[in-house]
Amino acid sequence: MKGIGKALSRTPFAVTSKIGMAKRSVDPEFDDYQRHFASLEQAAEKIIKDTKAFTEAVTNLFTAGAGFATHFTVIFQPIAGEYDLIGKHPEAAHTIRNVTKYETAMQELRELIGPELELIETRISGPAKELQSVMKLIRKTITKRDHKLTDYDRFNNSLTKLRDKKDKSLSDEKNLFKLEQDFEVATNEYEYINNALKQDFPRFMMLATQFIDPLFNSFFYMQLNIYYLLLEKMHSFADESKYDVSNVPGAQIAQEYEEKRTDAWSVIENLGIIKRIVSVSRLVQQSRAQNSQTSLGRSATTSTTASPSSSLRAGAPPTRSVSGASSYTKAAPPPPSSFQAAAPPPYTPSSSAGASAAATKRAPPPPPPLKPKPKAAPEVKYVVALYDFTAQADGDLSFNAGDRIELVEKAESAEDWWTGRLNGVQGVFPGNYVQET
Amino acid sequence: MSWAGFKKSVNRAGTTLLQKTGQIERTVDREFADEEAKYRIFEKECQALQKDSKAYWDAMRAMTAAQSRIAETLETFYSAADRTSEGAMAGHAYKRSVDDLDTTFTRELDVPYRTTISEPLGKMCAYFPVVNEHIAKRNKKLLDYDSARSKLKKLIDKPSEDPTKLPKAQQENDECKEMFDMLNDQLIAELPQLLDLRVPYFDPSFEAMIRMQAKFAEEGYEKLSGVQRYFADNVRDDYAAGQLDAQVEGILQEMRELSICGGN
Repeated sequence: MKGIGKALSRTPFAVTSKIGMAKRSVDPEFDDYQRHFASLEQAAEKIIKDTKAFTEAVTNLFTAGAGFATHFTVIFQPIAGEYDLIGKHPEAAHTIRNVTKYETAMQELRELIGPELELIETRISGPAKELQSVMKLIRKTITKRDHKLTDYDRFNNSLTKLRDKKDKSLSDEKNLFKLEQDFEVATNEYEYINNALKQDFPRFMMLATQFIDPLFNSFFYMQLNIYYLLLEKMHSFADESKYDVSNVPGAQIAQEYEEKRTDAWSVIENLGIIKRIVSVSRLVQQSRAQNSQTSLGRSATTSTTASPSSSLRAGAPPTRSVSGASSYTKAAPPPPSSFQAAAPPPYTPSSSAGASAAATKRAPPPPPPLKPKPKAAPEVKYVVALYDFTAQADGDLSFNAGDRIELVEKAESAEDWWTGRLNGVQGVFPGNYVQET
Repeated sequence: MSWAGFKKSVNRAGTTLLQKTGQIERTVDREFADEEAKYRIFEKECQALQKDSKAYWDAMRAMTAAQSRIAETLETFYSAADRTSEGAMAGHAYKRSVDDLDTTFTRELDVPYRTTISEPLGKMCAYFPVVNEHIAKRNKKLLDYDSARSKLKKLIDKPSEDPTKLPKAQQENDECKEMFDMLNDQLIAELPQLLDLRVPYFDPSFEAMIRMQAKFAEEGYEKLSGVQRYFADNVRDDYAAGQLDAQVEGILQEMRELSICGGN
């Protein structure tokens, strides 16, 4: 009740002083101390918070470290029915042998760290919290001082106002006397508490510094010890398992990692099951196409697609082996997209090494112009194109699957270049691309 | 969902129900089930590993960041009274080394950690949803196949009036079987491959992890231990003997006795 009464009587002054109607006394010395004290209060709060953050981070670090080791170990051990990982992956044998040891080391480390963290809790966070409670007491004293100051200013203001009043009434005189008394009390109270604070503040600041010294030192050694524990464990593990953990730049670790990286990455990327399914029916069609392709002359496909064009130059047409011939005609037409890869009739105008071989094969093209006779022949033979064919050199005849081509000259083998006419254009084409009607 | 997709899912729901009640027999594929079980273990472990690897990195960062902030706060304490004391010097040295640890060091390890740990794990974990999609698709097609087969069987057992029905059912059965077989065969062939490849895939990460952990410990230890030079000679022993704690307690007591703490 007393508190509320006081607060009420102080309120008008708080308002008037805020808007500059009433004078407020200032003690620069005290304000300076108070600013310092406020920053210390914040510091204490921060140190408690950050210590907590640090402890949590350390806990996380070691928990996550242990968890990482555990899961890594599971991955590097046979899963369910698997057997003999080392046999299958001799290059990873070192890792496979050591994951378990690593897991144990990390678990031990996590247990080792427990007491350290407890130490931080009791020896650092504890005292810091104590300090904070001491500061709260001081803060209370400061608030009290502020109230006393308000009282002092309030009475001071009223007193000056009354004194300055030109003609005072009787009651004014009475009030003046009462105010003088109040003012004296307020002055005494304020002076007392203000001086006490000013006297004790420097002492407190000193103590705060003295307080932080041993606290900091302790904390420092605890932190150092955490790093030491980790370092020691890592080194003993590395020594035992023959890992080189000398301190090298991080970039080097990354680089050496890159060097050790195997083709597992690309192999995985080529797996079908990691590719999104667009449409199952399309997949089915593709697999059908693939199957039929494999059934149609693998020999032809491999020889043409697998070898780069340079080797084809040497003698492309002959390499389309005889075996391919029959199977080509039997095969269902592959879809256009895969067709290109499967059955190109690759050759290039022979120029160098393969000249002789290719020349014999390419021999037919020149003659046609000299042989207009077949046209005169009574019967005109037609062949039907089985696949699309695009001209690859001058003198080639392009056509689409299904075109009827007038056969001008037929070589002995389907593996050779035949001559034909389509839409008035005459040219050569691979014999195995067409079917005789 | 499209209308076709909706129709499919309704049909499949019906099939599942009929299977549960034993009206339609269910295809059991031991081989696939085994592979799937193994894959599930792998998937779970990989995801846990990814989580832990991230937590590890975050903790490493948080640890040095907290140290850096603590160092900053210490400066505030020292500046309250005596800026040139031995303690203040040590505090300053401490700040320098933890700042160094926090910025330079973590920056140095940032990229390597990502290349050697986070990325391989992230990539592997990104494959799982796609693989799961394949498995889900396979399971759906299996339901379709089961239902088509049972329809066909019924027609054979009890021939219909309509002669076109049987070949149609036969064709549907064949188509479903083809789809299912394709997906199933692919999974059975490739799941073990994926699992097997995990060893060469993750192998280099292990050594990198060890080296980075060791590096973190070593850098931290070395940078911090340099600060000791600024300490008074007896500090280390005092710490070991628990003297420092006593000092802290003593000062707190003195503070409480100050008149401004209400101790008068």
